[in-house]
Amino acid sequence: MAIASERPRIYEGTRIPSPVPTMLQVPEELRGSEDLLQVNFGPNHPSTHGVLRLVVDLHGETVVGLRAVIGYLHTGFEKNMEQKTWWKAITYPERIDYVSFQNNELVFVLAIEKLLGLEVPEKATWMRMCLAELNRIHSHLVWLGTAALELGAISMFWYCFRERDQILDLSELVGGTRMHTRYFQAGGLAEDIPRGFFPEARKFVDWMPKAVDDYEAILDQNEIWLERTKRVGLLSADDAIALGQSGPVLRGSGVEWDLRKAQPYLAYDQVEFRVPTYPNGDVWDRYKVHMDEMRESTRIVGQCLDRLEGMEGEPWIADDRKVVLPPREELHTSMESLIHHFKIVTEGYRVPEGEVYVAVESPRGELGCYVVSDGGPRPWRVKFRAPSFVALEATATCMSDALVADMIAIVGSLDTVMGEVDR
Amino acid sequence: MPGFVESRDEHGEKTVVVEPSRLVEACEYLRGDGFNFLADISAADYLGWGERGVAGYIGTAAGRDLNRPGSQGLERLPEPKPKRFAMNYHLLAIPDGRRVRVKVWLDDGEPVPSVVSVWPTADWHEREVLDLMGIAIEGHPNPTRIILEDDWEGHPLRKDYPIGGEPVRFSGEE
Amino acid sequence: MPVERLPGVQTGKTPEEIEEEVRRGVLLTSLDRAVGWARKQSMWPATFGLACCAIEMMSTGAGQYDLSRWGMELFRGSPRQADLLIVSGRVAHKMAAPLRQIYDQMLEPKWVIAMGACASSGGMFNNYAVLQGVDKIVAVDIHVPGCPPRPEALVEGIVRLQEKIKAGVPPAYEIRGVAS
Repeated sequence: MAIASERPRIYEGTRIPSPVPTMLQVPEELRGSEDLLQVNFGPNHPSTHGVLRLVVDLHGETVVGLRAVIGYLHTGFEKNMEQKTWWKAITYPERIDYVSFQNNELVFVLAIEKLLGLEVPEKATWMRMCLAELNRIHSHLVWLGTAALELGAISMFWYCFRERDQILDLSELVGGTRMHTRYFQAGGLAEDIPRGFFPEARKFVDWMPKAVDDYEAILDQNEIWLERTKRVGLLSADDAIALGQSGPVLRGSGVEWDLRKAQPYLAYDQVEFRVPTYPNGDVWDRYKVHMDEMRESTRIVGQCLDRLEGMEGEPWIADDRKVVLPPREELHTSMESLIHHFKIVTEGYRVPEGEVYVAVESPRGELGCYVVSDGGPRPWRVKFRAPSFVALEATATCMSDALVADMIAIVGSLDTVMGEVDR
Repeated sequence: MPGFVESRDEHGEKTVVVEPSRLVEACEYLRGDGFNFLADISAADYLGWGERGVAGYIGTAAGRDLNRPGSQGLERLPEPKPKRFAMNYHLLAIPDGRRVRVKVWLDDGEPVPSVVSVWPTADWHEREVLDLMGIAIEGHPNPTRIILEDDWEGHPLRKDYPIGGEPVRFSGEE
Repeated sequence: MPVERLPGVQTGKTPEEIEEEVRRGVLLTSLDRAVGWARKQSMWPATFGLACCAIEMMSTGAGQYDLSRWGMELFRGSPRQADLLIVSGRVAHKMAAPLRQIYDQMLEPKWVIAMGACASSGGMFNNYAVLQGVDKIVAVDIHVPGCPPRPEALVEGIVRLQEKIKAGVPPAYEIRGVAS
């Protein structure tokens, strides 16, 4: 296990509260005390990431009781997707984790392709990887901007969103819209990569590491940032695994586990990148993991661009006409293409019977998609394993002996997106 | 392995079917075997499964029978399921990377024991199952609704619960 | 000088009240105009970001599509200090009660922009969980379409709202005659 055994453990034993592992309960001696104050945070609060409600019991400034109430953004994705055909259902997963939308599309499309047994052309694989990594940078930028905003470092918001707009401009160039592009289809990409993408993406790749250096220059030596993030929100490696954590939370606690390296999907085994891992399990380490991941993602994007520039003219979607829409020029000349197009758009292509669980490394952790197909044109059951849902379970453990101000830092460092939590 | 019923391998994934009464023992056995990470608990409702004829492999080049005109690919009904509900526990062994799915079949109203004592992360996953699917979880420390309001009636992800919403005007649904 | 109103605007007032207003209007019109100009120039939005549209709203407030060009960079955390509620994102039924509570806490005059398809009509989520349009519980002045709307689209919605205020159109709750 890649946990450094020679370093001292973050804390001894386990801090998972019992009997309910996800709820801090006020200790016996304090119940009924006059100093106990129950405060309700949210659901509309400037510093909870979206609509999260925390019911907090305060003894002075120390948090002695914590209960998270979720469900304020429940949208019924899973039931809605059962009503749509496989092709139309691809628009839904993007909006689940609305900050890393490409990863959601990716996991659903990978699940469909696994059930279909469809082979995706190389160009599509590399482009998907490129966009997924750009999306990872996008997600970390939004995280950094909002987390720093909540802790008072308001200027980070403006800088991060400047880079974020550059990524969204790239996204718009490729997919036609800034967010929720629906560019991944079962079989590859919806359309060819426009030629203007490569020079623009290169400019971004050259600029991004300097931007990350700028952010670190602002925050890394800042006394207030260090005070508010070091030794705050401790989570040991064993507790993190028992609580199902993954992604930066797990890597910030010293466990080197990244699905891109351990169970590579797309072409991650053909690119070079590091997996940043930090041993201390506090908010500071999770912040450093995010920063290093931004740099690593920029490296991966650069390598993808190198490969993609040599693939001009190759197919961008699989050739199977039963699943993939035919190119529009063919619709004028070929009757079969017209019928295929009609059948796919109206009735939908049929995915063979079976069930599949596909997991990808989203910016928040392991994003999983469990799909059951009955062989028909519609999904029978789709379930998304959302990493933010699980990350919120760890709030109570991280909050042992924490002050109210630390709560904001901790919930921010867990990088939750409420759309994912409530689905 | 305690409570083992059968195991299958499909699409590169291993599924182990277990008896509901011996689920906790089976999970402890698997955790001892290295599966220290519970990735997901998904419940599926199979009410109405197999009532319509569905295609075999019409999505791929292999397996379509061109010489059966008029069949429209409705070659067979899907494999029938033993009971109405299935609870799937997706497990992962963290340093090795092995994955397994533990499946439990349940009838409507049949409870399933809680695995919170084995993996604490199961807490909210099980609450979501009992909220949205209505499967009773025995031994859960906090069996309350999590995603919907506390006074919501019904369990939306069941197949007999309507999709809800409003009819779209001028679309013929009204 | 007659009171300026957009043609066809219905108000919840009786003919006698309108007469009275027209008589008083001669003196108050330029004051009305000045007040309308002042109100539109520095509206303070309340933070009510729910889902994807919230991220685009944050982007609209950030550097590239700067909202402070229209006086709105100051998002207030407390609804008591805000004039404008930009409902950005899908409103679940569970969230509808807090939304109405925030709206009630705002002081008159207050305006609501329903940003995005989900806030305007439920969007692509025609199901049991999502409120089919936030105008079922609050009175909406401007609907901005899009999923999510581009920052420029949101800015267009805000500019149109400002033009409405400048022209003297009363806020939506007055027009519809509903509780504010």
